[in-house]
Amino acid sequence: MTATSADVSGRSTIIDRQALADLLPVAIPAVPFGFVIGLAITESAMPAWVGWLTAPLVFAGAAQLAMITLAGSASIWAIITAVLVINTRHLMYSAAMAPSFREQPRWMRWFAPFLMVDQVFALAALQTHRTPTDFRRYYLTVAIALWMVWNTVVPLGMLIGPVVPEAWRLDYAPPLMFAGLTMFAIKRIPAGVAALVGGSVSLISVGLRDRLGIVVGAVVGVIAGAIAEQIIANRQVGPARTSGEHGPQATS
Amino acid sequence: MSIGAALLVLAAATLGTYFARSSLILLLADRELPTGIERALANVGPAVLAALTINLAVGSEGLGSIEFAEGAAVVVAAVVAAWRRNLIWTFVAGMATLWILSAVT
Repeated sequence: MTATSADVSGRSTIIDRQALADLLPVAIPAVPFGFVIGLAITESAMPAWVGWLTAPLVFAGAAQLAMITLAGSASIWAIITAVLVINTRHLMYSAAMAPSFREQPRWMRWFAPFLMVDQVFALAALQTHRTPTDFRRYYLTVAIALWMVWNTVVPLGMLIGPVVPEAWRLDYAPPLMFAGLTMFAIKRIPAGVAALVGGSVSLISVGLRDRLGIVVGAVVGVIAGAIAEQIIANRQVGPARTSGEHGPQATS
Repeated sequence: MSIGAALLVLAAATLGTYFARSSLILLLADRELPTGIERALANVGPAVLAALTINLAVGSEGLGSIEFAEGAAVVVAAVVAAWRRNLIWTFVAGMATLWILSAVT
């Protein structure tokens, strides 16, 4: 659907159809998420137009939702810290993608990261065997299409937000979404420990002003995860398993 | 929140997000991150997301302010997310739990 402008000119080579097909299943969950963000913007203490600008500029669901819902009840420094901490996972993507971008032109190396959300990373990481030109086409198709979807659903949520009755309790959708995102992020045992400890500590410290409990919980959680990592490494796992597969990391 | 403060947050979030996404692509030449750092980075997401979930679920008024239906909705959302690995089901199950339990209790 987003392919039209290039297709009309007959230069269908600009758009990678495979990329669009791959994007569909991962873009669908982004629709309700974007919607919830749109709704949250209408309830936020942040001016609506600034909230709206987070979609094209920040383009990062979890970080957007955090800043929009925290506005008003947390200090701006607490919000900024929370957003930056949430986004540190992108450092991981950036490190993982660095080799694939080495052969890309300079403009691509500077522009592409702007659009590198979780879904784009997950899809592009599977296409690193492509030639640089092919890879670029694939990456840009996925990323720009998703950016367009995102910038359609967030404003739609903003339009519908004021019409939704309060009794529907959509104000409570953000923690539910974050609960889901937490579970998705847990792929190994240390990550589970980090989440469990991070959540527990933030529960204990929930009374801290400016919602500092989030940052405190996150820091303690990361430390706990690192300790768990160390303990597991020391035990060397091996004997527990019977010559089973060494599970090649399935990045779904 | 004043417009100035909101714009400051927006600018910091925009630049910070771009920095996190671009820095290593732009800087990391032929090296890789030490495994220790890479592992630690992998735990940042789960830790901060869990902390956010709890903090937003409970609200700034403390544990006493959370309703039974709200707490149950968060638990159901987490369980469904772990089971279905799908954000739509997570949302639907969590909201349905919230509605039903709010109506009953």
